[in-house]
Amino acid sequence: MSDDTSNRTNDENARRTDGGANIDGFGTTDEESTVTTREANQSLSVRFGRQIIKGVLALTIVFLIGPVILTFISSFAGSWVGVLPSGFFTLENWYVALGYNELGTSRGLGGGLQYSVLLALGGVIINLIVGIPIAYAIVRYDFPGRDLLSTFAILPLVSGLILGIAFLRTYPNLSSSGISLIIGYSLLKAPFMVVAVKSSFETMDLRQLEESARSLGASWPRTFLTVIIPNAKQGIIAGSIICWTLAAAEFNFSYIVYSRGAKPFSLFLFSNISNSGVLQAAAAVSIYFLIVAAVTALLRASGTRGFTYGAR
Amino acid sequence: MSTADRLSVDFVPLVRGLISPTTERQREHRRIIGLSIPFILLAVFGGIIPLWEMAKISVSTSQFDTGGFTMEFYRQLLTVQFGFYVFNTLWFATVTTIASVGVGIAISHALEKYDLPYEGLLVTLISFPISLPGIVAAFMIIILFGNTGLVTNFATWLTTDAPLIGSVIPASSATDIAVATGIVGLFFGYCYSMIPRATFLLRGSYAEVNTDAEEAARALGASPLATFRYVTLPQIRPGIVGAFILTFRTATAIFGTVLVLKALDVLTLRISRLINVSFNIQGASAMSVVFFIFTIVFTFIGLRYTSAEVGGS
Repeated sequence: MSDDTSNRTNDENARRTDGGANIDGFGTTDEESTVTTREANQSLSVRFGRQIIKGVLALTIVFLIGPVILTFISSFAGSWVGVLPSGFFTLENWYVALGYNELGTSRGLGGGLQYSVLLALGGVIINLIVGIPIAYAIVRYDFPGRDLLSTFAILPLVSGLILGIAFLRTYPNLSSSGISLIIGYSLLKAPFMVVAVKSSFETMDLRQLEESARSLGASWPRTFLTVIIPNAKQGIIAGSIICWTLAAAEFNFSYIVYSRGAKPFSLFLFSNISNSGVLQAAAAVSIYFLIVAAVTALLRASGTRGFTYGAR
Repeated sequence: MSTADRLSVDFVPLVRGLISPTTERQREHRRIIGLSIPFILLAVFGGIIPLWEMAKISVSTSQFDTGGFTMEFYRQLLTVQFGFYVFNTLWFATVTTIASVGVGIAISHALEKYDLPYEGLLVTLISFPISLPGIVAAFMIIILFGNTGLVTNFATWLTTDAPLIGSVIPASSATDIAVATGIVGLFFGYCYSMIPRATFLLRGSYAEVNTDAEEAARALGASPLATFRYVTLPQIRPGIVGAFILTFRTATAIFGTVLVLKALDVLTLRISRLINVSFNIQGASAMSVVFFIFTIVFTFIGLRYTSAEVGGS
């Protein structure tokens, strides 16, 4: 530590005496050359550090969002043989993707979207019943096994693919009715609800809220339902929206478990991505982009910035 | 006193306390249990029972009924072939995790430390890919690097004299440049899903960094790089380790991306082929059991012995 400080003082002196111009360490003693190299490093990171980091940020955003915009634009194109799609403006790809012509009947949307909307909604309802109480228990109380329970509740411990394999034989008769999909979705997405609700609870003084309500005569269940839950509104709304979106597009689990009957939305996306032409697949994927854009607007309106709670 | 007696002595008042609590402490116990029951029910019926069933299938002798006992499907895992899938999964997850966490550090640094315009919009844009399933991430890579992808066609166009707009790129030359279905394309496909996750796992630790110490270091003449290296990095290290562990788990579990791009024989792809091609459910179950145990052990050991922090916990 003291070594560090003395080096910093040296840096300071070096900078004062030669104004940072001496980049070349030629012909200097050992100590002087360390100082000058450090000086060179310093001016480099002063001059370019921020630009490099900002460059990485800009490049990453282009990499993440560029193809999304390009996909959406190309879904209205007639062809894509050059560097950029061309032949604007046509709705042909959208007609096919939405299932409005003969090709669309096999790979079109059909009832898949409504079906997945309902399944995901079922998953969200289970997540609300499961997620809010467990988040409250973890934040408000201290009890043996709390840390373990907390880890299980906020980390997705089993992946969609493996849970799908596990469901194949356990609930074989439920797979066509969609109930097994709902149970699976709610288990897979529960951590996102718990994390979102938990972060709301953590900003509240739960003990004080609870005690004030109780001292005014409210029973504990009434306190929980009419005081605690409404105060955690933002986290609950954010958690529901994120769980719903992630469940509506859940692929890995659906791919293994789906056998027959109405097709989940993500399987419609998959059959388009793997079998259709690029432009038609672009239209199919754009349907989902529109949903996410709407959902993101909802999230922002409710005070949450995008899908940040989804990072697990 | 026998064990049963001791149990009954301690146990009976406890149960009685839960059913008709008389003290506030007993009521609190009842509340904790009541609040945990829905989660435990979901975990049992949605997770533990199916996983137990899967473990039973992996040792079953028959393909269509669960029953009997054989270690045959675990013995099959002791082959070079299975080792190859494990090796592929691990090295690729390691490489993509290092890249994603590295980029994630830079992004969360920029978001937290710099005064960026439209920061809220930037956060929303970076978090957007979290909502996309792996198959869509794979399609994004096809759009960029596929046979007719933007980057592919642009690179091909550079070798010709044709005008940028409206020229037809010959498919044969484009195919040579396309990397989407190669290992490089898969690398970008993984990073597409993992960079946003790594970023937001890291952001929590970044928000807690003591800025006074950083300012002091800068005032004393440390360069931005030295300040990051000696002041910021030690503070966010537990967060980095936590992000590394969780992002690595994500990487090993990725399936949709590799199902579309098919560039590498990883474990998840292998498991799905066993089910969809030959319906070898015992083999797939055995692999899944090994995979699941690995994930659990890796997570718990990782989080316990590295003083890692998991964002939000």
